Parts: sequence; structure tokens; C-alpha cells
Amino acid sequence: MWNLLIISLAAAAVFAIAALGELIEQRAGILNVGLEGVMLLSGTFGFMAAKTSGSYTVGFAAAVLCGAVVGLLHGVFSITLGSNQVVNGMAIWILGFGLTTYVGYPYTGPLGLSPLPRVAGLPPFFLLAVALAAASWFLLYKTHLGLKLRSVGENPSVAEVSGISVVRLRYLSVLLAGVLVGLAGAVYSLVYNPVWSYNYLQGWGFIALALVFFSLWNPFLVVAGAVLFGLLWQMSLYPELLFPGLFSRYIWRTLPFVITIVVFVLLSTRWFSLRWGATKPAALGMPYTPEG
Amino acid sequence: MDSVERGQVVLEARGISKRFGEVVANDRIDLQLRAGEIHAVLGENGAGKTTLMRILFGELQPDEGEIFFHGQRVRFHSPRDAIRLGIGMVHQERKLIPAHTVVENIILGHPDTGTVLDLRQAERRIAALCERYGFRLPLQAKVWQLSEGEKQIVEILKALYHGARVLIMDEPTSVLSPPEVERLLQSLRTMASEDLAVIPFITHKLPVVLEHSDRVTILRRGRVVAELETKQATEQSLAAAMVGREVTLHVERIEVPIGEPVLTVDDLWARDDRGVLAVQGVSFEVRAGEILGIAGVAGNGQELLADALAGLRPVERGRIRLAGVDITRASVLQRWKLGLGYIPTERRDVGSIPDFSLVDNVLLNYYSEPTFSRRGVLAASEARALAGQLLREYSVVAAGPEAPARSLSGGNLQKVIVARVLSRRPRLLIAALPTHGLDVGAAEFIHRKLLEAKRAGTGIILISEDLDEVLMLSDRVAAIYEGQFTGIVPAAEASKELIGELMAGLRRGRL
Repeated sequence: MWNLLIISLAAAAVFAIAALGELIEQRAGILNVGLEGVMLLSGTFGFMAAKTSGSYTVGFAAAVLCGAVVGLLHGVFSITLGSNQVVNGMAIWILGFGLTTYVGYPYTGPLGLSPLPRVAGLPPFFLLAVALAAASWFLLYKTHLGLKLRSVGENPSVAEVSGISVVRLRYLSVLLAGVLVGLAGAVYSLVYNPVWSYNYLQGWGFIALALVFFSLWNPFLVVAGAVLFGLLWQMSLYPELLFPGLFSRYIWRTLPFVITIVVFVLLSTRWFSLRWGATKPAALGMPYTPEG
Repeated sequence: MDSVERGQVVLEARGISKRFGEVVANDRIDLQLRAGEIHAVLGENGAGKTTLMRILFGELQPDEGEIFFHGQRVRFHSPRDAIRLGIGMVHQERKLIPAHTVVENIILGHPDTGTVLDLRQAERRIAALCERYGFRLPLQAKVWQLSEGEKQIVEILKALYHGARVLIMDEPTSVLSPPEVERLLQSLRTMASEDLAVIPFITHKLPVVLEHSDRVTILRRGRVVAELETKQATEQSLAAAMVGREVTLHVERIEVPIGEPVLTVDDLWARDDRGVLAVQGVSFEVRAGEILGIAGVAGNGQELLADALAGLRPVERGRIRLAGVDITRASVLQRWKLGLGYIPTERRDVGSIPDFSLVDNVLLNYYSEPTFSRRGVLAASEARALAGQLLREYSVVAAGPEAPARSLSGGNLQKVIVARVLSRRPRLLIAALPTHGLDVGAAEFIHRKLLEAKRAGTGIILISEDLDEVLMLSDRVAAIYEGQFTGIVPAAEASKELIGELMAGLRRGRL
């Protein structure tokens, strides 16, 4: 039972770090629905780098770099070129899916490095996720930069007349997001489940994306939600440990996704938007073009 | 820069021109703004006021012309450059972030804000500014919770906090009740006198200009047609200069026998988009041949009331009867068939479909009639004939009945909408801000059409933020404040002062 909780926290770390990255860019008005694709890419390149070099450091560095590059790519399309961010995100997902299947295939199999030690009995990256949540909260609500980021996501033209460069801040946000999401991809492929196989991520990126909405754009709720999804996921793997004989494991396995769908349906209801709609960044997903 | 003297030219525009496609918005405009002066810039809609102000604030780049600040030529690449020199702007559409607090909105982007926010210190500085100019504001509230007037104050404070020495205000009085206007102008006076700030402001409310400005510049079709000291101007001379011809500012009210009640509303409640009860227990009736004016400052529930009556918004509680039939839960189509006509505030979003032709836009109110729809197939030639006839009757300037609604000016589009609704000879007409944003000529035309409908026995609800319009046309005037009627006053007893105080919620009258 204790073990189940510990391993759930390891899963939660992946959800939380990715969702925090997405949260920061969404606060600045950029929506990247291709989280899954970014994580597939960074996780795969991180895995390849770590396996070739035999070093975690090189693996994480490659993953973070890869995340940042893909994040900036999303930025070029959605900020500079002003294209539809949802379409863009889907393109990133398809690219990630296809490219990693192609380049990762020769690396199929376990990573083969000795596992990272726990810190105080807890998975180290869960502790990092909590620290990152606190840091993003401080950044967003206690600093001028955070106020500017949130303003850009609420109403870019207001930010612009307040003397803020919308373009620069949005690029900063996609860069930060890329770094965090890239890291999350590596936490999955190097630490949580260090075995590369075709489509190894199984939709975790989409769950992380849902988590951002689920948390009402609050970093601490992101961590709480990540723990919940982590638990659900582990229970879906070993349901007989807790509820022997109740439902088949296939039903358990679909549960996190069913919950995601239910959450999205609830979020889009009138009831919800009346009460909580104000928390959503008002300019989320909207391109900004200054007049001249 | 602190040693400016009263009367010294602070900001000067020379030969400013700006074109949008084929439209010349500004045509070689010269403007001098002096320290310690309130300078009004007057003009009809489309005269180029807003374009000029946005150029002075660096939001738009002029095609030609130069801007001088204290005699030195400057170029504004973005508002940042203008703010740095001490130019602040209060926009007509609010440039605030509703989800953030007042303090957060004000300090946003200020260079001294520092890396880590010190909200307490910022709040002290803002409170000091409020004290100095006589503003009262809940500084910790989120901006969406504020009234329109308060939001405007936030914008003024923001400009002052960012060190504005020149304050540009776009139509500052349009969202305020008369007592709020007085208070605002007093604060502006204080700024002008103590601080030697230059405060040009733009409006089309002539009495306000005459009473409170030192100098007036009048724009027409992108050009300066007059610049004079306010002392030398009269309401008539300003209006004539604005429009380019003598205009009748007042239409004659007509007396017709008032008939049976066509609309009876009992204790009506409705929610706005945020779920707040924005219409709270309103009761009234409208009789045939009567115009009931509803006066209120924007955002006090009058538009929601109109939507609820028209069937576009669910009613929380209460009852609506049209010609004796309960229509509280009736569909929009059922309401039309009973004789309800609606002229909504949003001409281009609710009143028309911009990409549809004028014929199709007219059909939107006629598609259910057997003449225009036979077993579900539209009768194209009848529809075109009707649209053509309406365009002629209302002298609409358009390329033809097949022109898309998007191609029409605001005034002409409004004529089409009014024509479409009135041609059905409604029992009850709800006209929500029917002349809002229209120039004097088009407004006058709409006024005459409303009076013709009244003569024909239509009961009319006229919702307006323009008190002069309400007083000129209405038989009875209801004032609305925070979703409630604060009084319903017969025209004979309705003075501007009384209605103004009712609109501001300062007193309660008979209902």
C-alpha cells in the first residue's frame, strides 16, 4: 500500500511538471494542446542521449533542450505567424508521435542505468515538482514579471498600452513551458518507466493538459490533481491490490481518461463558466497582432 | 520638465495625416495643447477624433506629419515612448484587465514596480493620488466588480501613477451619470490648476464642452474646421461647425391619445453572464402610443432588461404580458407574432449578420410569414422587393439590396434595422440605444421614425444613456440604477437634475 503511494507520487511528478509548464504558457495566453508530442520528443531524445552517453545529466540536458526547441517552434507559429494554436498543437503531437516512432525504434528496450536514489523516502522529482509549483506561484502572483505574464494572457492590447512587449513575454512563456515539459518527458522516460517502446507515453501528455484546466490555473491544485491522477493510474495497473475482483483491469485503465473527459465536459458547462469562468485567462489561445 | 508654465505649449501636432485604405481619417491636422488647459476636441463619429488621439499616444503611426513635445520633435513607435514622456490616455473602451485588482492594473508595466511586487507600498501611493484629486475607489477590488465610472477612474489613476503630464481622454463622460460627470470634471479642474497638466478631452456632449473646457478644436471629416476659445462658442455654433450645416437639435414631441397597456411587467428578475442578478424586481407597463424612456448609466441592467423582454435571456422570476398574453417563457418567434419588435444595442452582432445581404437581413424578421416562405422555400423576388422598398423609404445609402450589411455605415445599418422592425407595425417596440454612436443627422432621422411609430399607436420602450434624448422623446421616464427602477416620472415633471440623481441612485422616486 505504501509502495503504491510512493510510485503514484513518481507518476504525479511527471503530470505535475508538464502541467506546470503548460500552466505558465496558458497564463500568458498560449495554448499548446500538443503536450503529448513535446513529451514524446523530449523523452525519446533524452532516452537516446542518456543511453548513448551512459549519463543521466546528458539525458536530461538533451530533453530540456529538445523541449525548449519544440516550445519555441510552437511560439514561432502561434506568436509570430499568428496561426491557430489548437491546429498547431495537434501538428506537434502528430510530429512527435511519428518522428519518435521512427528515430526511437532502434533504442527499444530498457535504459540500463542504475535507478536514481529516493530523497527522504520520496521520489526526487515529486519534491522538485512541489518546489516548482511554489516557484511558479511566486513568479505568477508575487513578481512584476508574473503580473506582466498574466496580463498578456488576459488582454494583450492592455498589456501593450501599459508598455509591455506582448511578443517578448509570450516567447518567454513558451520557452519556460518548453523547458518544463521537456523535463517532464525525461522524468517519464528516464526515471518513472525507463524502457523505450512505441508510443510509450500512452496519453499522459493529454492528462497533464487536462490537469491545467482541472486545476483552474492554480499551481498547487496542479500538484494535488497530479497526485490524484497518479494514484488513479497506479490503481488502474494493479486494481487487484485494492479492490480484488471489482471491474476488469481494462475498465480501471480507462478511468483516468474517462475522468478527463468528464472534467472537460463539466468545465465547458454554463454552470461552471458562471462561477469559475473568471479564472480562465481571457485571451487564451488568441493570437495577438498589434495595429499600426 | 517640471518647470512648465501655464499656457506654454506642451504637445503639438503639425500636419498629421492618416489613411486607412481609401478612408482619410486625419487630413493635415494641427493641434496645440497647452499646460493648465482643458482642451476639448469635438467632432461627429468618424470625424477622426479617436485616430488623432491614438496617434498622439503612439498607438498608431501617422502617414504624414510631426509631433513636438516641448518644442522638440518626437517619434512614438509605441505607447511606451509616449508614456515615458508623460502622456497618458484614458480610452473609450476600457484598457483594463477585469480579472486583476485595481492596484495590479495600475502598477502594471511601471518601471519602478521592481522585480518582486510590493503591493502595500503601491497601494499607499495610489491612495495618496486618490486623496489629492478627490477620487474614491476600493483599491483591492477586482476590476470586473467595479462600475463603469469607477473603471474610468482606475484608468485616470493609472495614467497619473505612470507620471502623466498630458492626459488624453476619449469621451470621458459617456459612461457617467450627471453627478459623476460633475465630480470627474472637478477632479480634472484640480489637475489642470495644481499640476499644470494639460487635459484635452473629446466628447460630443456640447453642454459639457461649453461649461468645462478652455479651448475647443472641431474636427469634421478628418480636418480641423475651427479652433476657438470656449468663451466665444455657443451650443448652436459648435453643432453647426461639427455637422457642417445648421441642425435642429430638438425634434418636437407629439401628443397622441394614450391607449390600453400593451406590455405589463411584474417583478422581473434576470441574471447577467456572470450569474449576478442584474435585473432586480422591475415592474412597469407601457401603453399604446406611449414612449417610456429608461435612463441609466451603462451597465446598470437596462440592456439585460431589454434582452429579457425580447426573449434573448431567461427570466429568473416575474411575469411579462404582451397584449394580455403571458410571454414570460415564450420563444422569440412567438413574441414577434404577438407584435414585439426589438432594436438591439449591438447593431453588428445582434441586430444584423454582417456577411448577409440587406435582403437576407430584412428576411430575418420575415422568414416565418407565408408571403416570404412557401412550404419552407424562400420567395426571393418578394423579399427583394420589400428590401428595396424599405431602403427607399428610409433613404439608406447602400450599393443596393444585395450589398452585404458589413458595407454599410453605422447610421445606414441602423436605418435598415429600424425599417425592418417598424415595417412589421409592432404593438411594442423596444429600442435599446437606438442612436448610440450615430451622427447628429442619422440620430435625428431615427428620432422622427420613433415618433411616427408612436403616432401609429405603438408602445415604445426607449433605452438610452443619453439623458437629453430620453427627456426629449419620452412621455414617462424611468431611471434604472443597479438593476432597479429608482423612479418613474411623467415627462412634465422630469427635470435633468431629478433624473440625474435617480440614475446615480442618490434618491428614490415614485414607482
